[in-house]
Amino acid sequence: MTMPGRSGHMTPERIAVAVGFGLLLAWPLLVQDVFWQRIGALVLLSAISASAWNLLGGYAGQVSVGHAVYFGAGAYSSLVVYTDLGWPPIAGAPIGILVSCLLGLVIGTPTFRLRGHYFSMATIAAAELLRILAGNWPLVGAAVGLMGPPTPRSIADLSFISPIPCHYLFLGVLIILLVLTWQMQRSRMGYYLAAIRGGDRGARSLGVPVLRYKVYALLLSATFTSIAGSLYAVMVGFADPDSALGILISVKMVITAALGGAGTLFGPLIGALILVPLEETTNAWFGGSGTGITFIIYGAIILLITRFQPGGMAALWRQILPRGHRRNTVVESANRAA
Amino acid sequence: MAFGAFRAVDRANLEVAEGEIVGLIGPNGAGKSTFFNCLAGDATPTAGVIRFADRDVTRATPEEHARLGMARSFQVPVTFEDMSVADNVMVGAFLRHPHRRDARHAAAEILSFTGLAPLAETRAGSLGTPGRKRLEIARALATEPRLLLLDEALAGLTPAETRLAIELVRKISERGITIVIVEHVMEVILSLTERAVVFHQGRVIAAGAPRDVVEDPAVVAAYLGHHMKRVRR
Amino acid sequence: MILLQVVVSGLLMGAVYALFSSGLTLIWGMMNVVNFAHGDFVMLAMYVAFFAFTLFHLGPLEFIPLAALLLFGLGVAVYFGLVRHMAKGPMLAQILGTFGLALVLRYAAFWAFSANFVSLPDNLVGGTFAVAGLRIEASRLLGGVLALLITIGMHLVLTHTTLGSRVLAVAEDRNAAMLMGIRPDRMQALAWGVGAASTGIAGALIAMFFYISPTVGESLALIAFVVVCLGGFGSVPGALVAGLSIGVIEALSAYLIGAVYQDVVVYALFLLVLWVRPQGLMGTI
Repeated sequence: MTMPGRSGHMTPERIAVAVGFGLLLAWPLLVQDVFWQRIGALVLLSAISASAWNLLGGYAGQVSVGHAVYFGAGAYSSLVVYTDLGWPPIAGAPIGILVSCLLGLVIGTPTFRLRGHYFSMATIAAAELLRILAGNWPLVGAAVGLMGPPTPRSIADLSFISPIPCHYLFLGVLIILLVLTWQMQRSRMGYYLAAIRGGDRGARSLGVPVLRYKVYALLLSATFTSIAGSLYAVMVGFADPDSALGILISVKMVITAALGGAGTLFGPLIGALILVPLEETTNAWFGGSGTGITFIIYGAIILLITRFQPGGMAALWRQILPRGHRRNTVVESANRAA
Repeated sequence: MAFGAFRAVDRANLEVAEGEIVGLIGPNGAGKSTFFNCLAGDATPTAGVIRFADRDVTRATPEEHARLGMARSFQVPVTFEDMSVADNVMVGAFLRHPHRRDARHAAAEILSFTGLAPLAETRAGSLGTPGRKRLEIARALATEPRLLLLDEALAGLTPAETRLAIELVRKISERGITIVIVEHVMEVILSLTERAVVFHQGRVIAAGAPRDVVEDPAVVAAYLGHHMKRVRR
Repeated sequence: MILLQVVVSGLLMGAVYALFSSGLTLIWGMMNVVNFAHGDFVMLAMYVAFFAFTLFHLGPLEFIPLAALLLFGLGVAVYFGLVRHMAKGPMLAQILGTFGLALVLRYAAFWAFSANFVSLPDNLVGGTFAVAGLRIEASRLLGGVLALLITIGMHLVLTHTTLGSRVLAVAEDRNAAMLMGIRPDRMQALAWGVGAASTGIAGALIAMFFYISPTVGESLALIAFVVVCLGGFGSVPGALVAGLSIGVIEALSAYLIGAVYQDVVVYALFLLVLWVRPQGLMGTI
């Protein structure tokens, strides 16, 4: 549950993390091209939502494929407070969090009774249901959607010409989320979620209040997914049922986390680092996602990791690590050792 | 306990005094597992009452059971495969020790008590059956139970492994933990338990000291009869 | 009168739902793997029908079996290439795997055929019947009746032939089946092939009266899930009853509330079933 290596020692993993964050920090200054600066911000945004999903889907093992509802709640809340109340979009973020948590409780509590595939399907159905409803609800602009401020009225509107401020804002949020995740992972909650992932029945027999902890994970996950949605609305300035509540949003979150390694701290970030530049450059080369090539590639990537390395990049990394740092996997009879 | 029209367990009574080691035995399909699951909280009896230390726990959930001090192991171990052995035990320890450091100490103590310390960092999924069964017990112990329910924890072991497992159960009893063990391996019952209760077709047909019970004609008939039914086919 | 019309057309559509959902329930029952690409299989079959007609001038008598055959091959290929390895992996991999397949199929179609709707001509299966005051399109009637017959046929083959009982044996207890000399691998591949073939037939049938586009798979997949969950996974009779019911419910909702909300009703029903009776009407999990 902790990073291998004795504390204080510079393991390859810790070096990689330090270098990685150094790069992320310096990125907008290293690349002068707006295209690449924007990619940096988008990578971080994707990492936030994937890391948020990871709390429920990776650590707790409850694979939700309907997380778009929380993302959409955050995005729409931000744009609704602007459209209807004239507030800066970011002020809608707390409302988005509230709505997301409520949605989470309503959807999550009954669905947590379901096992595996059933749970996933229920989340898909719930998300699709809400997407259709939103498409007919005037408050959120029905099928047309909502837009943010076309020109910034004050700094609070947070719409900048350059992607740089967004980059640092997102980086800050991501770091907070990752620190929280790390703390959680090492605490009783982390162990209990891992136990739930390992098997409800076994966890119960050890006194783990399974439903309660699933709900905790869900609330935390929904909160940060909602924040990601609000940040998205701030940066992009637009949301409609497809871009904010569509199933592809949910699927992207899952793939991003899974590619890097679901249930690991940096997995989602690694996934984002690979997928977002891939998507953006593919769109640029082939002229927009209208041609669908991006998703063929996404699909192909999922197929590859499913078939060959379900643990994602993180598992791949562990296999490459030098022997001394690897976890012992030798099978020994406990009796021989005793 | 009835499953629809089928009575798996019919009017079975069991009293266990603190510190005892009691064995539940009987041929397959005798109802002992169903009875056991009711005791452990994984099934709710359709009639009857279960009391633990003056508390009615008939409808208590498995989590509540653990909190009250009744722990169990599963016949087919439900190991948390992707976690290390130590982490598996820590999950149990967290029940009484909310803080990681305390839980870790408690788990370490259990690991050395059960002889699993050398395997602490091993991935639990790579253990063989004896290791997993031992881990099941260790995890349950980590919840600091007053009563430990073992479901065929010694089945499928070689004679040498069985002897070591019996030793472990004795050590657990010496700590003052009451043990109820479901088993159909006779030598285990004879060498380990102070009292045996025999199930057959959902009823208790004999109870008492293991030696006496084994020679009870009704018990012999139940086992032999069962055996003979198979032979006739 | 209009109500009866609505119910009848719902039943006819429902029979088609039942057909491809039977395929899904077979796959699902066999190895507890959910095929998220099932709807896209149907979509591909629709395109097979379309191109068979427009490029090779094949009629329904030809393109229906053709679609069945091609999809059968796809199902078997997917089993050996992907699913067999997936089933041993963690839950996340199982869910993602067929999802990835769905994405690839859907967007390959998107890229190859563009997002535009296409359709087969209305008079392919000529005309409209007027029966007892109801007006029923011949293509829908044909589709519904054929779907019903084939679904019943599937059930009969499964329960009354040796091959069928072997398939069911593997679904029930893989290890026991192995001990009896049945090769689970083959049976599972067969199940995937048959399951996919059912989408082939269903897709070819639907193509005769529906618009064809790359994204139809998404909502069809969800309908299949609803039907399978309602009917009980692994149960073909269950899928039949549930499929017909969903067809009627969908038609009634469209008529009473409006076409936009027909999906909402179906999904809401789905969630309700999952919460109240996860094993479905006739299933036994």
